[in-house]
Amino acid sequence: MNRWLTFLCIIFLAGTGTCAYSDTNSEVEARKSALDLAGAFSNDGFKIRDGHWCGTVQPHVHYLVAVNLYAGNQYWFSVGATEPAKKVAVSVYDETGNHVSTESYDSGDRAAAGFAPANSGQYFVSVDLLDGQQGSFCLVYSYK
Amino acid sequence: MFGCNHAREQCPVQLIFAGNNTGISFRFLLAADIPAGNFAQMQIDWVVIRWARLSLIAVVGIISAASGADPARLPADQLAKAIKSDSISIPTPGELFAALEKPGKINWSGQYRAPMPMTYRNRAQIALNLGGLIADGFIAVEAKDSQQVKNIGSDIIKLAKALGVSEHVLGRSNSINEFAEQNEWDTLQEELEATQNEVKSSMQSHSDQDLIILVSLGGWIRGTQVVSGAILENYDQGSAKVLRQPALVGFMQSKINEISPELRDEPLVKGVSEQLAGIQKLVSFPAGKAPTVDDVRKVNDAVGKVMEEIESKTIAK
Repeated sequence: MNRWLTFLCIIFLAGTGTCAYSDTNSEVEARKSALDLAGAFSNDGFKIRDGHWCGTVQPHVHYLVAVNLYAGNQYWFSVGATEPAKKVAVSVYDETGNHVSTESYDSGDRAAAGFAPANSGQYFVSVDLLDGQQGSFCLVYSYK
Repeated sequence: MFGCNHAREQCPVQLIFAGNNTGISFRFLLAADIPAGNFAQMQIDWVVIRWARLSLIAVVGIISAASGADPARLPADQLAKAIKSDSISIPTPGELFAALEKPGKINWSGQYRAPMPMTYRNRAQIALNLGGLIADGFIAVEAKDSQQVKNIGSDIIKLAKALGVSEHVLGRSNSINEFAEQNEWDTLQEELEATQNEVKSSMQSHSDQDLIILVSLGGWIRGTQVVSGAILENYDQGSAKVLRQPALVGFMQSKINEISPELRDEPLVKGVSEQLAGIQKLVSFPAGKAPTVDDVRKVNDAVGKVMEEIESKTIAK
């Protein structure tokens, strides 16, 4: 009995480890994709913030993260996603929840939104999966 | 108004639970494992911020839109559930200084302060001062003062050592010196950010999570002191607008409320926390309205007072 329990525990732990590892790889890939996109804005003088938000994006689910921005800066929020996620979108909302007009870049599994806030304060960045199935995503942002 | 084909307009109200039980997970990451001085070849170092707490945050952070909801406006209850994390919701001093730099030339070297003692014994005080010192590093980078960057880099490492951070962090000192020698200011800024994140990552792995918010807070207080001081020297409305950050102060206050009761009750932490409530009111200007000179002076006085306490050798336990 004890041997069976030990065996089952080993199988369970091995399975958990594999899942965690594959998630990690997928998020690393998503982050690389986001950083590649953000790198393009670096050519225009944008600095990439050393911090990011990664997770799993699903169809019909709306993901929100709060950021605090400064009037006077310009920002780009870049998202990369991995297969089977096919098309992602990035939107920005102000502190009262109003949608903010942004410049947009959209290339299937990568998307970015850029704007210059008129007011300093809290904003909300949303990430949505528009096409495809559940996959990893990663958000980074740049400023200048 | 977004197009009607937007996915989130079609979905029913639902809350997706995150965590191991559903296979959905979120991680807040700090790029703390970036090889010193090589931002392009960064590797991911996972910083899983207290899984229990993270799971709770993730549960409420994943939000689905109500069927037929207007995507042009998100309701307050959805905004309240947005993810907030130290690694992405708290701006770095570099971001603050970048915004200030736009309207005119700032006398950055005029914002230096005298070297602080490296002999603090209280861990909370060291963490708060470490954050402030990192902000000083950003100031030295803005001033393009390589010697000052090297001095501050050395002090950062001394304080970080006092907190018992990993040897990996200590390797940053060499790269900071190297980039300062070569006047690589953009890379130095990245290096300072990476150093700050690596210190926090090391604290995380040493079960010093409660100190992480104090590093961020120390950096914000010192940054705000410098920025408000610079605005007072040469007031203009555009610059003054950067001081509006009520939600940020509120977030830091809420994080302090989550730390252990023992740490929260230490005289220094308690004092700083109590004063944050007043500072939050001072930086809560209406959107679109620039603070007056008098408003800026009040902010400068308030953060200056907190900074004095953080630096003081007598107040900490």
